[in-house]
Amino acid sequence: MKFEHVTEFVLKHPKSMIGLVLILTLFFGMQFPKIAVDTDPKHMLPAASPVRQYNDQVERDFALHPDVIVLGMVNPDGIFNPQSLKRLKDLTSAIREIPGVISRDVDSLTTVDNVISLKGELVVKPGLNDIPQSDSELATLRQTLLDNPLFVNRFVSADSKAAALYIPIEPVANGKKIADKIRSLLPQDVGKDQFYLAGDPVARDTFGTEMFRQMALFSPIAGLVMCVALWLMFRNVTVVVANMAVAMVSIIWSMGGLIGLGFPVHIMSSMSPVFLMAIATDAVHIFNEFVFRLKETGDKRRAILETMKVVGPPVFYSDVTTAVGFAALATGAIIPVKIFGLVIGFGTLVILLMSYTLVPAILMLIPEKHLSNMAETSAKKQGESASRLSRLGTFCVEKTKPILLAGFLLFAVAVAGLSQIRVNNNMVHWFKRASVVRTADRVMNEYLGGTSTAYVVVQAEEDGAIRAPAMLRHIEGLQRELEKDPLVGKTFSIADYVKRVNRVLHDNNPAFDRIPDSGREVGQYLFLLESAAKPRHLDNVIDFSLKTANIIIQLKSWDAGVMEHVIRRTNAFLGSHPLPQDAQVKTAGIAYFNTVWSHEVLWGMLTSFLWGLVLVLILLVFETRSFLWGFVSFLPLLFTITLIYGAVGLMGKDFDMPVAVLSTLSLGMAIDFAIHFVGRFQQRYREYPNLKETLIWTVSRPGKGIFLNAILFALGFSVMGFSALTPYVTVGILMAAIMILSSVTSVIYLPALIQLWHRKLIKGGVNQ
Amino acid sequence: MKRFWLGLILFLCFASSEIVRSVYAQESPDGKSVMNEMLTAYYYSRQDAKSEVFMRIVNRQGQTRERRLILLRLDETDGGKQSYYIYFHEPPDVQGMSFLVLKHPGRDDDRWLYLPSIDLVKRIATSDKRTSFAGSDFTYEDVSGRDLDEDDHELLDEESLGERSTFVVKSTPKRFGEVEFSSRKFWIDKATHLPLKVEHYDLKGMLYKVYETSAIQTFQDTPTITKAVMKDLGSGHETEITIKTISYDVGITSDLFQERLLRRPPTKWIR
Repeated sequence: MKFEHVTEFVLKHPKSMIGLVLILTLFFGMQFPKIAVDTDPKHMLPAASPVRQYNDQVERDFALHPDVIVLGMVNPDGIFNPQSLKRLKDLTSAIREIPGVISRDVDSLTTVDNVISLKGELVVKPGLNDIPQSDSELATLRQTLLDNPLFVNRFVSADSKAAALYIPIEPVANGKKIADKIRSLLPQDVGKDQFYLAGDPVARDTFGTEMFRQMALFSPIAGLVMCVALWLMFRNVTVVVANMAVAMVSIIWSMGGLIGLGFPVHIMSSMSPVFLMAIATDAVHIFNEFVFRLKETGDKRRAILETMKVVGPPVFYSDVTTAVGFAALATGAIIPVKIFGLVIGFGTLVILLMSYTLVPAILMLIPEKHLSNMAETSAKKQGESASRLSRLGTFCVEKTKPILLAGFLLFAVAVAGLSQIRVNNNMVHWFKRASVVRTADRVMNEYLGGTSTAYVVVQAEEDGAIRAPAMLRHIEGLQRELEKDPLVGKTFSIADYVKRVNRVLHDNNPAFDRIPDSGREVGQYLFLLESAAKPRHLDNVIDFSLKTANIIIQLKSWDAGVMEHVIRRTNAFLGSHPLPQDAQVKTAGIAYFNTVWSHEVLWGMLTSFLWGLVLVLILLVFETRSFLWGFVSFLPLLFTITLIYGAVGLMGKDFDMPVAVLSTLSLGMAIDFAIHFVGRFQQRYREYPNLKETLIWTVSRPGKGIFLNAILFALGFSVMGFSALTPYVTVGILMAAIMILSSVTSVIYLPALIQLWHRKLIKGGVNQ
Repeated sequence: MKRFWLGLILFLCFASSEIVRSVYAQESPDGKSVMNEMLTAYYYSRQDAKSEVFMRIVNRQGQTRERRLILLRLDETDGGKQSYYIYFHEPPDVQGMSFLVLKHPGRDDDRWLYLPSIDLVKRIATSDKRTSFAGSDFTYEDVSGRDLDEDDHELLDEESLGERSTFVVKSTPKRFGEVEFSSRKFWIDKATHLPLKVEHYDLKGMLYKVYETSAIQTFQDTPTITKAVMKDLGSGHETEITIKTISYDVGITSDLFQERLLRRPPTKWIR
């Protein structure tokens, strides 16, 4: 095979090989300063996607700011006291001066005009202007504000214990930086007043910053843990160095390549270093075999050549399947996942290249005296572990049926669990429950209308269609219907504005709290609103030509499922109450966006997953030159994945983006063990055609490599379990679980399956 | 004795040069007087005026709203009390809607509104003169003038703008944060005293709104702005205001500006 020529060439020029790799690595490393991060959920979908384009159009048409920070002030005794109100007023003015804040569109009680009727006069002034001091004045102010439905649950809570400021920021501004600036403005020691910052830009940019910190922290820790583990396994510095060098080279090449090509780093690709470090542990199979060979031959050069000869092919196939498994992610529509798949796919190929070049070169340079140490220490330990592993092998070969039966039962339970899986995605839940961001979101959703926003846009055919009283009543009806959902905290539309004007013009008479009967009346009210309100407030809910109207919906949860309910309710209502004049309804807004892409994630991942399964199966069949062998190698993987996702379903954990992506990427990695096992079994069986003995040998010798690999892998990932961000925790724990489980199922079930079907397998596949 | 005369002559020379200097200073006016002249020329030209005004409001998407209205104005004193009567002809929905504004410098205006669809006259109390005028990018203050004493005025420079030479005046509100701008910069035509350009700076000192005069015509010896544009840089809105016809000193009397006349506007004045 050509692989041997590669190894021979490398062994002749180990130093120049290492030098070449270093130069290339330096080149990729130089790209790092150009790094850019992107945590905007909207960028999950391509810019050309219809959902994203429509969302942008709605934001443009209705002069809506895409990024709004919400600052909540909560006082359990009520905010209507002079101190709290003054704080609210001062804060509003201070916040308007922060760079990056769109000052004139900062909405709070003190900046939004309230139109009221007072002693027959129409009074237009900010909801909160002069701070009242006496109790009776405070009570009047409270009553006046709570009387206006456009204020309740938006700027002030119905129980008057909370107030909110809506702070739009420029698209280029960093939400976390502005949030930090706002925090520094918050008054200290202010009795019972509590302040909370929420909103998509805060969550997003806090996540972005945190993402870097976490990865900067956990990548080195994962590396360190792996170093220690490698040392304990091999007691040799060179082995540790070689393995870590492979990992580093692949991380620097792939991340440097990504950054150099101008792509931003997303949540997914930020995890690449940990993944590549884990994948690089595949080189353990080389070290494991090298130690055995060294002991047998006593000659370094020969040991390397023989090792590469036997371990090379399985390393090649396992890395290629890993790369293919990741590259399968690129078939989906979610950009960050695509990029992640390609980055890891590329990184894995780099690891493969290094396994053939850098690893033998470094092994060649190990001083002879270290080698003898290494052989001795491993020889001591070899005895115990080998005997334990061969006992395990014997057990597997002898108790085939009970093992398979137990597996079958587990599989059935797991399938039941799979049916329990709940698809959901919630960006705020990417933070831990006690985190500042999530607490703020929870508290504000408790008191006010909701921190997540959706738009239901009514599109009529003709200009002026919206001002028709019938149309407005329909819009109002739809709002009341949507508000039946307990998680819909607030809706408002042009209908609310028109009703408000009608009532105020009629001396606050509740009988006029309705849509007027003539279009001309509505037209004159709208004209008044255009003159009184800040133009933008009206622009947010209706366009100039009165052809489209926007119903703004505040949701108390970021769950994608909540928006699905809203859409279902809207469609059901419109089914029984069709809009006049063939008007149509479309949805937009961040809540809708999250729903769409979590759907895309699910289906995208499912297709990628199925493609991945097919590709892995094809590769296995190709590698083993036998359908049956390919299928047998495939079974432990299928079993592992079913078990893991069955457990996810049974535990009631949401099937969200990190979990969905894991399903696909675990494919390419978890299959490695079966490839090594089957490959080495076949090699051995060709030399010593005794089924039971060969199986036991495979369990104890390559099996050791498999377990070492899995342990290293799991250790590397498990450190992410301590992260402050839940997607990392999920990925860390699940990956560790998948690797351990997959190594166990491979080593236990492959002997059992080979034993069970040995007649067909051995006849067809081994004697190539 | 000679010395005395010499001394006296020298003294007189110095004294007269002081007088000359002070006369010169009056010729190069300060910001406040330039601004005052502008207010008089722009908002108080002649005794009364009847104009037909056309407004076109364009949003970022290029959609437009149009208004046609008759504006009647009567001044009590220059820079002092003023009365406005505004009658809308278009859009069709608001045909017949009207506003009555009695402007009192130094305190809140009196405003009334008439809604024909429900036949209702309503008094409007607003402390905020910065609300939009008829949904345009002009505020009530832009249409009727802002009190001279609300701001400090500083003459920055003299510049030529196109073919006209102008005074550049910076007006800074005396109470920061009371209005949405931190300062405005005026380019005031030396010849007509009319504003040619006004830049509005927000509380962070960023330019956010620009007014520009695009046509000045002379009617009855009175230079008059007949076309102007207000651009809101933040929202992307802009409003173009056109004076279709204007006649001065037409004999408007104060009895026209009565609340009850909103219901039955005299045809003579609103055509």
